[in-house]
Amino acid sequence: MSLVKTLYEKDLYPEIEDAGHSDFARDCVEIASERLAKGQIDRRTFMTALAALGALPAGLTLGGRSAGAAAKEVVIVNWGGPAVEAYAKAFGVPFEKATGVKVVIDGTGPLGSKIKAMVDAKAVTWDVCDTGTGTTLVLQKQGVLEKIDYSIVDKAKMQDIFAYEYGVPNYMFSFILAYNKTKVPSAPTGWKDFWDLAKFPGNRTMRKQPNGMLEACMMAAGRDPKSVYPIDIDVAVGKLKEIKDNVIAWGSGSQSQELFRTGEVVMGNIWHTRANLLSQETNGDVTWTWQDGIVTAGMWNVPKGNPAGTETAMKFIASSQDPEQQLVLFDAMGNGPANPAAAAKVPADKKHIDPGQPENLALQVLQNGPWYEEDSGVRNLTNDELSREKWLDTLSS
Amino acid sequence: MHASIRRVYWWLIAPAVLLMLVFYIYPLFQVLWISVTDPVPGFGNYRELIERPLIHRIWLTTLRICVVTTVITVAAGYAVAYAMAQVGERQRTWMMFCVLLTFWLSVLIRAFAWVMLLRTEGIVNSGLQELGLISEPLRLVRNEFGVVVGMVHFMLPLAVLPIYSNMTGIDTRLISAARGLGASPIGAFLNVYLPLSKPGLISATILVFVFSLGFFITPALLGGGKVVMISEYIQVSFEETLRWGQATMLASTLLFSVLLSLALVARFVDLKKVFGAR
Repeated sequence: MSLVKTLYEKDLYPEIEDAGHSDFARDCVEIASERLAKGQIDRRTFMTALAALGALPAGLTLGGRSAGAAAKEVVIVNWGGPAVEAYAKAFGVPFEKATGVKVVIDGTGPLGSKIKAMVDAKAVTWDVCDTGTGTTLVLQKQGVLEKIDYSIVDKAKMQDIFAYEYGVPNYMFSFILAYNKTKVPSAPTGWKDFWDLAKFPGNRTMRKQPNGMLEACMMAAGRDPKSVYPIDIDVAVGKLKEIKDNVIAWGSGSQSQELFRTGEVVMGNIWHTRANLLSQETNGDVTWTWQDGIVTAGMWNVPKGNPAGTETAMKFIASSQDPEQQLVLFDAMGNGPANPAAAAKVPADKKHIDPGQPENLALQVLQNGPWYEEDSGVRNLTNDELSREKWLDTLSS
Repeated sequence: MHASIRRVYWWLIAPAVLLMLVFYIYPLFQVLWISVTDPVPGFGNYRELIERPLIHRIWLTTLRICVVTTVITVAAGYAVAYAMAQVGERQRTWMMFCVLLTFWLSVLIRAFAWVMLLRTEGIVNSGLQELGLISEPLRLVRNEFGVVVGMVHFMLPLAVLPIYSNMTGIDTRLISAARGLGASPIGAFLNVYLPLSKPGLISATILVFVFSLGFFITPALLGGGKVVMISEYIQVSFEETLRWGQATMLASTLLFSVLLSLALVARFVDLKKVFGAR
């Protein structure tokens, strides 16, 4: 039974987006839109994308669409806005040149629920989706994704730990400790300081979802950054409980930024891209440390029964592993390249905002997706599912 | 003759009924259906309602906030409506304008406005500190208090309008008569005016309570992620964890509780009269 046309409250009330939770991928789009509004990126680039979107509501076609020729095009879904143009430039043009297969970038947003609805209704129109590790894990349990074919996609062109059975990293980002210099007595050096309310009084912000937070809790509980996994969910939520009264939870990236702007929090476990924006707009008053950061990845997924066929989709993903292509995306939107080989090519003045630089990576923990997939031993839930429940339960108690 | 006219009426509303069936009733049944078939057929999802402490907590939070919001909103709305019914034409127009003005503002803007006013460095806290009334800023937002403030503000027009429209129909000469027969001002109000304004009170209570049950944006923003109401959890289950069985179960329970509260009210009052259908 499909809910495709009935349950999208968000279609009716787009403003709900802001109140809800959002993925990192969508957040990058928001950021780029803001940068444009402030004149930080080229207006013409943006207008081209908008014009293309207006003319072709389904997305931006790089070449002409030829009717009836299936598997001659591959549809990539991302979160729209400037990401349509950026993805077309970074990944679309090179793939089209190399294979002759047209690349269509669809900016309608690969919500997990939409992917599931499509696959359930056997009406899949997307080939490759730009989601996150959380969505990948949830979708794979629902059985709606194609397995990644690692004979086509190259495992050597990514951090090992991000080579998921059903997802490939297309960029990297971090959960880091951000703080407002003017409101703390000294620079916090890790999650233990984050928990030290006596030394660093004031509110903190953490995410509504446990992904990226549990790791910080474990480090605060004294776990060595090198052996954060397996996470003990009860210990982690116990740590949240300790400081809960001083925690305001963020759902979307813009919310996390807002909380620093309004002065409601002095510290936060937020995405490094948002910390970077805050740093720019406050002239460095808000800054962050890579120390004990949690590196995670944006994910390419392929829905089961995708129109272009699994092989074409895998070939597209393989093509997008090229460091040059990932650098184009990094330049346009700030998404850190997923291919370690790209790190050396990042310009010197941007190395400090790239989580994948060796010196930054050395300070951080790579998020362990497989742990999230494991059975928790409770009610047939995975660690991911159980921790989401317990996290929300603790936050709202 | 009479019967044939009735048939014409049925034909006239047929398109609307059809539209409702296809786009409202059918999807609603889909929701009910999924709640008993996903992930496995049976009432497993509904059992979670009884067994899972998290869902209990979310329901309790929802009901508590709804009851508090309804009581405050209806009381405040009654006072505003009463004042509107008493003042002159000019003031009434202004009062109506002010009530409706907030009604037209986006719910997001209103929520952010409350954040700006109530945050630790906001006008309210800094004002109170300047006056020396408090030494530490009060926690006025990103908690349940903030949620109730935002919701009462949002709901106020929904309470004022039905109560006011009911009050305009009350014959004020009855109050004068009661006073003339020796009732005190308070006695006349309690024994004559209040009972006459009961239909307005009841419809305002129902409206506000039912609207509050499904609230989403205001609690999500003003609650600081710590005040989770049913609709937010439905969104999480539907969109993030993709547990549609659980999401539809919660949505169905929400629907049933609305119907149940209406049925309860209907035992005591004529709902058709309250909502002006008769």
